[in-house]
Amino acid sequence: MGFDIHKRLIDFVIKSNWYIFIIITLLGFINTPLKFALGILFGGFLVIANFHLLRHTLYKAFQPLKLDKNNFNLNDSSIISNEGRWLLNKVIIKYYIRFTISGIVIFTLINKNIVEPIGLIIGLSVVVVSIIAATTLELTRLIFKEAV
Amino acid sequence: MDFFIACVWAAGIAIGIAAFGCSIGQGMGLNGAVQGIARNPESSGKVTVTLLIGLAMIESLCIYALVVALILIYAHPQAAEIIKTVAVVAK
Repeated sequence: MGFDIHKRLIDFVIKSNWYIFIIITLLGFINTPLKFALGILFGGFLVIANFHLLRHTLYKAFQPLKLDKNNFNLNDSSIISNEGRWLLNKVIIKYYIRFTISGIVIFTLINKNIVEPIGLIIGLSVVVVSIIAATTLELTRLIFKEAV
Repeated sequence: MDFFIACVWAAGIAIGIAAFGCSIGQGMGLNGAVQGIARNPESSGKVTVTLLIGLAMIESLCIYALVVALILIYAHPQAAEIIKTVAVVAK
């Protein structure tokens, strides 16, 4: 049952990311200037791509077969085998590469004045909004379930 | 000129503090997740989902700080008005 909640949560976040992105991009192109709408479009797309890459990295790295007690000394967290260290380094290196590319894209967008910064911030908030929506929904479900 | 120097300082300090806080938060999260899965490999799915959501939230905070820092340097909303005011005062 516990795993169901987690699966439901991640499915909801993935779907709502795209829905919110499409809705706010359309609203942006209809109601706001082009640069503002482009900010929403680029920001939203960047953050969703980031989220999917992060998911891919974590699911690949955190398979139970790769993480076993031989690679990590649980009594002393400073003692990690070479394989365990490489596993952690891989996640962190991929994270930094992804973050650097995001930084360069955002820098170019703002520096070349391609987008409106406020629009970009709205676009970058897509994942945060969908995560908040997902947790609120789960909490509401939990509260109503307990009330019944 | 002092204003723009202050903006660059503010941007540098802002992204520095944000990166510091976010990296500590993410490191702690990752450490906890790795240890949790090593102790109980069956919980891998649950821990990964929770970690994914947590990391995405923390990472977005750092990206916000980066955007605000870049706005301060390259797209300050009052930059044109300040330049005008400085020019008037200089005359």
